[in-house]
Amino acid sequence: MANLKPFTMPKWGIEMSEGTIAEWMVAENAQFEKGAVLALIETDKITNEVEAEAPGRFVRIMAEAGGTYAVGALLAVLSDGGEASPAEVDAIVGGFKQADTSFGTDGDDAPVVAPPPPPAPAQVAIPDDALISPVARSRAMEAGVDVATLQGSGRGGRITAQDIDQAARPAAAATLVGQFPLTPDTGAFASPMAKRLSVMHDVSLSGIEGSGPRGRIRKADVLARIVPPAQPAPPPPPLAASPIAPSAAGVTVKPMSSMRRTIARRLTEAKSTIPHFYVRRRVRADRLLALRAAVQGQRPSVNDYLIKACALALMEVPQVNIQVHGNDIHEFDSAEIAVAVATEKGLVTPIVANADRRSVSDISTVMAALAQRAKSGKLKPEEFSGGSFSLSNLGGFGVEQFDAIINPPQGAILAVGTARPEPIDDDGAIRIVPVFHLSLSCDHRAIDGADGGRFMAALANLIEHPELL
Amino acid sequence: MAVMNIREAINKTLMDEMERDSNIIVLGEDVVGGAGTAGGQEAIGGIWGTTPGLFAKFGADRVIDTPISESAIIGAAAGAALAGKRPVAELMFADFVGVSLDQLWNQMAKFRYMFGGKTTCPAVVRLIYGAGMNAAAQHSQSVYAMLTSMPGLKVVLPATPADAKGLLTEALRGDDPVMFFEHKALYGVKGEVPDGEHRQRFGEARMVREGGDVTVVTCGRMVGFGEKAADKLAAEGIGVDLIDLRTTSPLDEEAILDSVEATGRLVVVDESPPRCSLAADIAAIVASKAFTSLKAPPAMITGPHSPIPFARELERAWVPSPQKIEDAVRQLLAFR
Repeated sequence: MANLKPFTMPKWGIEMSEGTIAEWMVAENAQFEKGAVLALIETDKITNEVEAEAPGRFVRIMAEAGGTYAVGALLAVLSDGGEASPAEVDAIVGGFKQADTSFGTDGDDAPVVAPPPPPAPAQVAIPDDALISPVARSRAMEAGVDVATLQGSGRGGRITAQDIDQAARPAAAATLVGQFPLTPDTGAFASPMAKRLSVMHDVSLSGIEGSGPRGRIRKADVLARIVPPAQPAPPPPPLAASPIAPSAAGVTVKPMSSMRRTIARRLTEAKSTIPHFYVRRRVRADRLLALRAAVQGQRPSVNDYLIKACALALMEVPQVNIQVHGNDIHEFDSAEIAVAVATEKGLVTPIVANADRRSVSDISTVMAALAQRAKSGKLKPEEFSGGSFSLSNLGGFGVEQFDAIINPPQGAILAVGTARPEPIDDDGAIRIVPVFHLSLSCDHRAIDGADGGRFMAALANLIEHPELL
Repeated sequence: MAVMNIREAINKTLMDEMERDSNIIVLGEDVVGGAGTAGGQEAIGGIWGTTPGLFAKFGADRVIDTPISESAIIGAAAGAALAGKRPVAELMFADFVGVSLDQLWNQMAKFRYMFGGKTTCPAVVRLIYGAGMNAAAQHSQSVYAMLTSMPGLKVVLPATPADAKGLLTEALRGDDPVMFFEHKALYGVKGEVPDGEHRQRFGEARMVREGGDVTVVTCGRMVGFGEKAADKLAAEGIGVDLIDLRTTSPLDEEAILDSVEATGRLVVVDESPPRCSLAADIAAIVASKAFTSLKAPPAMITGPHSPIPFARELERAWVPSPQKIEDAVRQLLAFR
């Protein structure tokens, strides 16, 4: 008899209460392998792929594509691959009890694809005189592995615990890379891998000074010369489920996407329930821009420097590095900076974790990857939930200054405009240098004006002395 | 580029280098081989045919037949090297290196170190090694792992005629004792050899095949076996990174580790018994330095821990084969 189990709406993140089946990727009764994408599920923030944890097939799919279901709701019935009669499936459906998905305090952020514990495997008989270690014997009994078919790798063909573990695991299908053409021998004093990489990436070995013994060119020397490829364009977003309804006078009515609705709800809540106050300041940007211009190779963006500056300023003024939960203020000992990223579907704020402990170039790498995933809707829930502070930069659009709405439950958000040339008092002389207009929005329930002021002073000092970053 | 076999490449290199440097002398059992016995100066030039013509060209001062005493051959080479010559000593069978270990391991290998760099030991010892010729247990061993374990000696194993020339030239130009291993079964292997000066640096492995799935590390005769296995596997879409070490001391660890980082799977093919072998050494290096890159336990293909049998069929079963390499690769790919 087949081993059946329910397939339920997963819960990604503490605030997820329902999800929409964007698409079933596997048809009813079609066999799938471990790791196959079973369904695309759309939440308020992301569209995520649900992968199979084991090979099997859907013996019945109940949920419709496009439908929205509560977390924990029964979507389909999974089989481990065997046949199942309709009566058996009905029994699973009838006996299904939706798990309690009310919000816990913590620890329930992990994706739950609701696999109930597998039923105890059938006991296997192992002859007393079998050549098997005691641990392997008990593991084989637990896992239901038939040791008669195994070839032991231990002493004298003894079956070891590792043999059982290996047998119990599903077979690995190695993905093959295959042959590639032999790189011409360049004659340079380089390791084979360095030569291979040089040909693969069209890097000339002639100008490279090797860091290996006797000046040999190593893999790392070649990698350092490789220009990272341009980021591929993000794939087009999945088509909206709802059709576009034409209406009178050239106006097109579009229902809000579920992401748009979430943004609307959260920010309305933030602006109407959080007492905002704003601290504004002008900061000279010339030194930071000069420092950035001097960077060789992959150059971090201005925003990457600002992330680092905010992180260090937050370490100096921890009163701003907080979340507000009801009557509690959660202070963070690291800077978890959420960075506003515009996507086709709306605003998301992926988080640069531990930004205070990262170098600017590291932040740049992390941010590029996050932004890329954000734009293609592939962010994992943990990559945009939480955060102790937000940064929103509209400088790229030429915006000079603006105020941002706090991203709850965080306590503050910094709005950054473009660096525009302005006269400043430079030690008694008038100089015209690029200047940032910064605006810090603070939650007055937790942060006082003086805290905001101190934060801005620390931030200004860091931006004006960028060598500190 | 001229096409020649390894035997010819070694002969030509000795010829050229002896012409270039009058300090180079050649000594060993039968390296002249019956000069004058047939009424003339013509000689056979060693039972492996690697030294014919040297005696006729350079004479008895520089090409010296020795008594059957490996101790004496290596001892004389060590002394000659200290005295300013550049001896090339031939051990007709590497198996007999045992009786000259003091000269080799305790003296030659340590001169430069123990005399504080005030002297060097520019000696090349040519050791003819390897199984597959039905030459029985005392004439078939691969003792390069043993010599590789001795600090102060460089250990070289050419697998192609080009490398035979490049590595021997490098050995003859350097100032350290070099153990130059020549596989009996490889002498007839033909290939292109660069004209003019051609030196191959020690410690620089050769990438023989490129693929991304499994790293196969080999040296000497096993390189050819690796190529056969790699060709068969390529037909199934399995890509092998085949590495010819060229020298086992110095060892190109970087080439091995770089490749394993890319493939995650390692097969070491070593024509010697498994205990304390080159295979064991390389597997240990990879396990300790690239453990997290590994997708499966390293596989070691060696002979069994036994003397090499005389019987043809048994000898064939003893020596690693292309089939064993293929099997090991498939097993690694199926590892879960």
